[in-house]
Amino acid sequence: MKRIPIGSWIIFILGMLYFFIPLISVFEFSLRKLRGIYSFEAYRLAFIDPEFYRNFGMSLMWAALTIVVSLSLIVPTAYWVHLRMKHLRPVVEFFTLMPFVVPAVVLVFGMARSYSRISFMVELPVLLIAGYVVLSFPYMFRAVDAGLRAIDVRTLTEAAQSLGAGWRIILFQVIFPNLRTAILSGVFLTFAIVMGEFTFASLLSFDAFGPYMEETGAMIAYTPQALSVVSFLITWACIGAMQHLAKGAPGQFAGTR
Amino acid sequence: MAYLEINNVTKTFAKDSYAVKDFNLQVEPGELVSFLGPSGCGKTTTLRMVAGFERPTSGRIVIDGKDVTDVPPNQHNVGMVFQAYALFPNMTVAGNIGFGMKIAKKPVDEIKTRVDEMLKLIHMESYGDRYPYQLSGGQQQRVALTRALALSPTILLLDEPLSALDAKIRVSLRAEIRAIQRKLGITTIYVTHDQEEALSISDRIVVMYEGEIEQVGTPFEIYNFPQGAFVADFVGTLNTTKAEVVDPEKQLLQVDGVLLQTAEGLDTQKKGDIVTIAIRPERLNFVSVEKKANVLDCTIENITFLGSVVRIQVLIGSNRFYMDTFNNPFLELPRLGDKDQVSCSREAVLVLKH
Repeated sequence: MKRIPIGSWIIFILGMLYFFIPLISVFEFSLRKLRGIYSFEAYRLAFIDPEFYRNFGMSLMWAALTIVVSLSLIVPTAYWVHLRMKHLRPVVEFFTLMPFVVPAVVLVFGMARSYSRISFMVELPVLLIAGYVVLSFPYMFRAVDAGLRAIDVRTLTEAAQSLGAGWRIILFQVIFPNLRTAILSGVFLTFAIVMGEFTFASLLSFDAFGPYMEETGAMIAYTPQALSVVSFLITWACIGAMQHLAKGAPGQFAGTR
Repeated sequence: MAYLEINNVTKTFAKDSYAVKDFNLQVEPGELVSFLGPSGCGKTTTLRMVAGFERPTSGRIVIDGKDVTDVPPNQHNVGMVFQAYALFPNMTVAGNIGFGMKIAKKPVDEIKTRVDEMLKLIHMESYGDRYPYQLSGGQQQRVALTRALALSPTILLLDEPLSALDAKIRVSLRAEIRAIQRKLGITTIYVTHDQEEALSISDRIVVMYEGEIEQVGTPFEIYNFPQGAFVADFVGTLNTTKAEVVDPEKQLLQVDGVLLQTAEGLDTQKKGDIVTIAIRPERLNFVSVEKKANVLDCTIENITFLGSVVRIQVLIGSNRFYMDTFNNPFLELPRLGDKDQVSCSREAVLVLKH
């Protein structure tokens, strides 16, 4: 007779409770805006505030810019490291871990101090995007690196070259399509990080969803909790999209063993 | 003028460490030449230089009269087949085969016609819409072959194309590759470490060792007349031993006090010189079957049944030799420890040059 793994179930349930109880509590609290009844009033107030849409929109824009810069930087670098400089991979990996070692607040002050004399760096969101790109390094690099490790980069490159392909065609028609899942993972993780980021936007004085939540929380109750739940939902939607798009990528990890 | 000329090509990756050393070869149009040798002998590096993936440290490579030594790999117009298939996982079989033509901006109709033609060539007409992961290893390699051929390249380069396949498919696919190569008449370089594969498929074989050419010849020449100890040892099974020159004029040698006569000239040797001689196992036979010029007393030490062939290990003086005889279920085999006599012709005794 098959035994029921009771121990495993207990650990699983404890894990779920640890994760969901605070979340359910926040959700439950966000519904108490009106005395004595549960309602979505806090959400309604959040969604009728034009500042919500402005800040949310700004964060969307920062996220899009970060993704473009991060992809342009990480994908060719990781590809070249895999193709020609395998011995440098640990060095690149070490640098991508910087956000885990250097706190965001230290990074932002360092950047501001170094580049504040260059006017366009301060006026335009150059430092903000640069900071976000650094924050995205560990996730984007690891995702792309894992994708590159799953394909035989050198042989595929040489096969394409022998068929007359130049670097642009190799990257866009051979390498990128086979990294679709990996790139999407990196993109969505970067998106989720930027949407919830507070330190960079706040200290560099740019409008974004993170500082907006903080400011709202300082003035009124219930609505910040509603925004936190919205933020969670965005992250989950990203993860769901990642998993959905990862399916049905034909031949993704086959054929080059 | 040869179709492919590899002239004085040397490749070093580190200082004083030669991957390929002073390589010279002329390949005629439509010829299939195999590079044969153990791992690290420089055969793949030489192939990669012909493909343009590596640049020679010195020397020139000329294809059809055009010096391609410094030409980038995507302008070489060579077809390359890799050991790991290297089909693009994101493209269908038809997409893979048509990839080169698409890059060359050929009309869609022409691409389709050529893809169909290529699929027919490998008898995979109904596989055009499949992805590489839906194919077996043998099928993937056949698609890789037609992908390389679709653009009608000047030369076809195959880098150990059958190494990742199982034994039975290897044999059938190598016959298919040879048939396609003959049909299209395409000049081909085939890299392998499998001597049987090289012997069965090639017009000529280049045997390489430690970056240098040991011998170039037809499969018949390489197998029957190896010039050096390495080729003798690497290609097939060979009995080798040291022999003393007794009489250069009469071509007489002595091994452990036993006299042997060779058909090879010993003009450059003098009495008392020590040379290395080699005898193929199948060139030895029992005196009871046929008596030839050289007769040697022996003791039967071991008998191994190999299917169509029975390999008998005999002790001649202090040397252990192998003797191969066709399996005949109606012929009685000797017993271990039996004293007997084996014989070989003068022509069977090869004197190795280095």
